[in-house]
Amino acid sequence: MNSNIFIIIPVYNEAAVIAQTLHQVVQTGYNVVVVDDGSTDGTGEIVKKFPVHYICHPINIGQGGALQTGMDFAKQFDPQAVVHFDADGQHRVSDIGRLLSPVLEDDCDVVFGSRFIEKNGLPVPVAKRIFLQLARYINFFFTGILLTDAHNGLRALSRKALRTVLLTENRMAHASEILWIIKERRLTYCEVPVTIEYTEYSRRKGQSLWNSINIIFDLLFKKINR
Amino acid sequence: MKLIQLILIIGLLAILISYFRWFRSAVIDKLLIGCILAIGIFLVVFPDLTNQLAVTLGVGRGADLVFYIFIVAFCYLILLVYAKIKKLEQQLAELARRQALMEVQSPSTTGV
Repeated sequence: MNSNIFIIIPVYNEAAVIAQTLHQVVQTGYNVVVVDDGSTDGTGEIVKKFPVHYICHPINIGQGGALQTGMDFAKQFDPQAVVHFDADGQHRVSDIGRLLSPVLEDDCDVVFGSRFIEKNGLPVPVAKRIFLQLARYINFFFTGILLTDAHNGLRALSRKALRTVLLTENRMAHASEILWIIKERRLTYCEVPVTIEYTEYSRRKGQSLWNSINIIFDLLFKKINR
Repeated sequence: MKLIQLILIIGLLAILISYFRWFRSAVIDKLLIGCILAIGIFLVVFPDLTNQLAVTLGVGRGADLVFYIFIVAFCYLILLVYAKIKKLEQQLAELARRQALMEVQSPSTTGV
């Protein structure tokens, strides 16, 4: 039953943690697609040791672009569902099942992981919390969809969603772009509680405030340029 | 003719010539660039005209008027360049994607 589900993991210079993440993900028995977005730190060599599909961009084009490459690859197997999973160790493998069940039961086309549904989840750093609240409403402003969490990379897409979603925002604005597509193509969506681990590593690699200005600019431009 | 006028005219002509030499683009583009530069040279030769125009439009000096117009035009240009870069970025991404998908390494014991 796990054979027709694909976990897509975009990686960019994650040599320090990728082995640990892949070790856990591979054990789930799902098909794993690792899209190496032009890493230069030997990430690729580590990934190749695992029983995963390894796709390597010749140059760095961004996380959104890497996810789309993974989805394009998965499409040829006509999977029941695909899952977007981060390489940096902030997502838990044990959340994947919960994320998939609304999709597999045909309840939703897209399922988002949210760290704010369950009150007793791991504490979210205060600065991060304020930032995410802001991001939620910015997303709402641009897409008309208000989630409880924002820019949480963990999500599941149904077969229908996989066929519909085409990410053109190659950088980080893809998280908002998906909402956009959901709204426009009338896909159904829901949120399930997940746990995000705030390791020193993921915090360092995560979104900076500077980058979010980039995202807003990308979104603004997309809105004008349609 | 003042020296500054000569310098500006030479500068404008240099832009015009390099544009025609380096870029090949639509005829309408060339006409537009030609017109704009012609106006530029014309105003350099008759600087009092910008003053008159500025007063008509409610701006103090001709130089200020030119400056304001320049800001607007510059912003517009930046937007155009940004759009072009975005488009190129997307084409580049598509190219990288296609190449990457041609050389996928799959596990031999895949469950598919």
